[in-house]
Amino acid sequence: MPAPPCSCRNRHLPGLARGWRWFVRALAGPAAVIVGVSMAAPDLDRMQQLAHERYGAGAAEAVGAWRSMVADAGTLDELEKLQRVNTFLNRRTAFDDDIAIWKQKDYWATPLETLARRAGDCEDFSIAKYMSLRLLGVPAEKLRLIYVRAIVGAPGSGVSQAHMVLGYYPSPDAEPLVLDNLIGDIRTASRRPDLFPIFSFNSEGLWVSGASTSSADPTTRLSRWRSVLERMQQEGL
Amino acid sequence: MSLIKQLWIAIAVITALALGGSLVVSTLSARHYLEQQLQVKNFDNATSLALSLSQMPKDPVTVELQVAAQFDAGHYRLIRLTSPSGEVVVEREFSGTLDGAPEWFSRLIPINARPGIAQVQDGWHQFGTLTLDSHKRYAYEALWDGTLQQLLWFVIGGALTGLIGTLIIKHITRPLGQVVEQAEAIGGRRFVTTPEPGTMEFRSVVRAMNTLSDRVRTMLAEESRRLEQLRRQTQHDDMTGLVNRGQFLNLIDSALARDDAHAAGILLIARFSDLAALNLRLGRETTDSLLRDIARHVGEFAAQHPDWEAGRMNGSDFALLAPGCEDPGDLALRVGQALHAALDARPEGHTVALPIAASAYAASESRSHLLARVDGALATAEQSGDRAIRVAERIDKSPPYDDLQAWRNALTSSIERDGVRLGRYPVRTSDGRLLHDEAPIRLMLNGAWQAAGYFLPWVARLGLMPRFDVAVVRAALQEISASGAQLGINLSPESLCDATFRGELFGLLQAAPQAAPKLWIELPEYGVVRHLGEFRALCVALRPLGCKLGIEHVGARFAHLAELHELGLDYIKIDAAVIRGIDTNAGNQSFLRGLCMIAHSLGLVTIAEGVSSDAEKRLLPDFGVDAMTGPAV
Repeated sequence: MPAPPCSCRNRHLPGLARGWRWFVRALAGPAAVIVGVSMAAPDLDRMQQLAHERYGAGAAEAVGAWRSMVADAGTLDELEKLQRVNTFLNRRTAFDDDIAIWKQKDYWATPLETLARRAGDCEDFSIAKYMSLRLLGVPAEKLRLIYVRAIVGAPGSGVSQAHMVLGYYPSPDAEPLVLDNLIGDIRTASRRPDLFPIFSFNSEGLWVSGASTSSADPTTRLSRWRSVLERMQQEGL
Repeated sequence: MSLIKQLWIAIAVITALALGGSLVVSTLSARHYLEQQLQVKNFDNATSLALSLSQMPKDPVTVELQVAAQFDAGHYRLIRLTSPSGEVVVEREFSGTLDGAPEWFSRLIPINARPGIAQVQDGWHQFGTLTLDSHKRYAYEALWDGTLQQLLWFVIGGALTGLIGTLIIKHITRPLGQVVEQAEAIGGRRFVTTPEPGTMEFRSVVRAMNTLSDRVRTMLAEESRRLEQLRRQTQHDDMTGLVNRGQFLNLIDSALARDDAHAAGILLIARFSDLAALNLRLGRETTDSLLRDIARHVGEFAAQHPDWEAGRMNGSDFALLAPGCEDPGDLALRVGQALHAALDARPEGHTVALPIAASAYAASESRSHLLARVDGALATAEQSGDRAIRVAERIDKSPPYDDLQAWRNALTSSIERDGVRLGRYPVRTSDGRLLHDEAPIRLMLNGAWQAAGYFLPWVARLGLMPRFDVAVVRAALQEISASGAQLGINLSPESLCDATFRGELFGLLQAAPQAAPKLWIELPEYGVVRHLGEFRALCVALRPLGCKLGIEHVGARFAHLAELHELGLDYIKIDAAVIRGIDTNAGNQSFLRGLCMIAHSLGLVTIAEGVSSDAEKRLLPDFGVDAMTGPAV
């Protein structure tokens, strides 16, 4: 899909202007929230445009492919959506450590960054899948990003590592389906004896797609999860 | 609205805007900060509680205890755990009321911190969603306290700014009052100069007004000088510089019509018996020099008293008019001695005959009677010898009281018994409107209400003028209060110099603020010229009281009066000696025209005294006279 001339007005948004915007919002708090919510619609053109600007044509193409996958999957049922998204991201994205990709010990990348780099670690996979499914209309309460302890090597070897997967709960009481980057297919949790859940979270109470509500708040940067949510919003999601 | 008020309002508005704006901004930014902190606390506490719940056994008691412990030990409004299907598993809610900040305040500036939400996991299964909301009470309290403190500073700062602003405004506008005063003075044709203030703009204005005043003053001085020249040319004898015959006769008329303490006086004439023979004998030049010498001595006598006049009645007759002088014998003797000594001092003077005659006159005597009497005496003197001195007694009148003591008794008993009455002589403008009534004093003496000329010379001799003037002022104010008429009264120079009188006058006028603006107070020109300092002080003191101030009998000494331009006088009354026969006297016409011009440029109303014929009355407005009084009016 050709990229229409998009909202370039924010492209060179300088720090000063951002600071000013923050100030204005601080002054007129509630009014700005209303304005922010009213812009709530994912702007995937913008996302593609940003990918092109930041990472070049290859990245834009990757985002484009992701967009067409999302567009194609729109009419499928939820399980098929899971399958499509899981396969797409697992295939197109190579696993690598943050230190190799981002030169940081731990970095939570946005879907744009993951797609553009074609690489990510477990959080990046989970975040990209989470956001793709949210875009496809899967409600947040069915999705959980789950910290798990993963047994690596032979069962019973005792060697484990920290890992993150995306859980899908078809119903609140059901056993989740696990979307993992380590294995290609989606299995129910009981078929993943190598994984031990520790804690789960989603974006409930934190995030409205396309909105820029509380993310205007500088404390956001201090939380990895809120930080990545904010960056995604800025990138058009 | 005054400038000071406007500046003050401007300062108040700016201060309120600045301080009020900063109050709003700082309150809102404090609110924003508090919101952020609360929100972070909500998120973090929700996450950490969810994390610990996820790790724990999920029996209801443990879960309940866990939540309760967090709630009870912390500062929360709400902690709620709902199962995935939406039922509430545990809920703790703070039910107390919000205190710490008034309710309207929390409604006006609400703190919107979103609750923290976190998921609780039981193995792979969802256990529930945790909602945690911190109590905002302490946030509101902090915000409220901060706002109150700000408000306190606002009030202190505002008061301080107001105080400093007022002082600064006062400092800035201090010269303004002075500038306005000068502008008003110039508007009232008082051409004063004031020291230049420090503020640049005010300085320019004051400088401009000072320049204007100086220019007007210079112009007036020049006009006065030209007019004085004109007067000398038309009213004075070329050779001797004394008043010429025509004007001297006018002066006699004016003196005889006087109605004040100097209503009576003496006319003295010295005559070179045979001027033609003298001319032949001594030669024209020597004779002229002799005449000038004698004229100078006669002039010196006149100069000793402000209202005495010396004149040359004709080629050989030198006259001295001495209003207010009582003893003709003494005066004649003194003049005779001086003139004869002057003659004797000259080599050719021993042979010159210079008989002298004098006579006293009384108020309202006719001029021809007086002149005839003095002429008769002079003829007798000429018969009696070259240097003879004769005094003609007034035979027609015997004084009503024999001596000073009798007069004193009569005057004091009259004023105590009957008080004074005021006459009424209208002063009308040229279109017939009544300007005011002249109100001269009347006193019950000798069985009748007597005019001023009858007794005032005796009052003056007895030093009772201030007492009588006070009585006149009091009577005039009473009459004004009763009838509402405008009244003009004369004050004597003796009263002008009397501090007690001035105090009484001031008190009387102050006590009658309604009547004072209708009182026209005038002093004779000769008195003003002699007591310029006192007159100035009187003007300054009376101006705020609203009464009108003027000078009467203005004529020969007007040149001194031009100096009074900054006093704010209201009118002058021009002496009858100038007005008399104005219809035929071209010289006096020019003089009168110039005098009125100067008076008008000082904002003075000009009033002609002693208008006695219809011809005068018809012509006077053409010369610039605003109003008239006298027998013909």
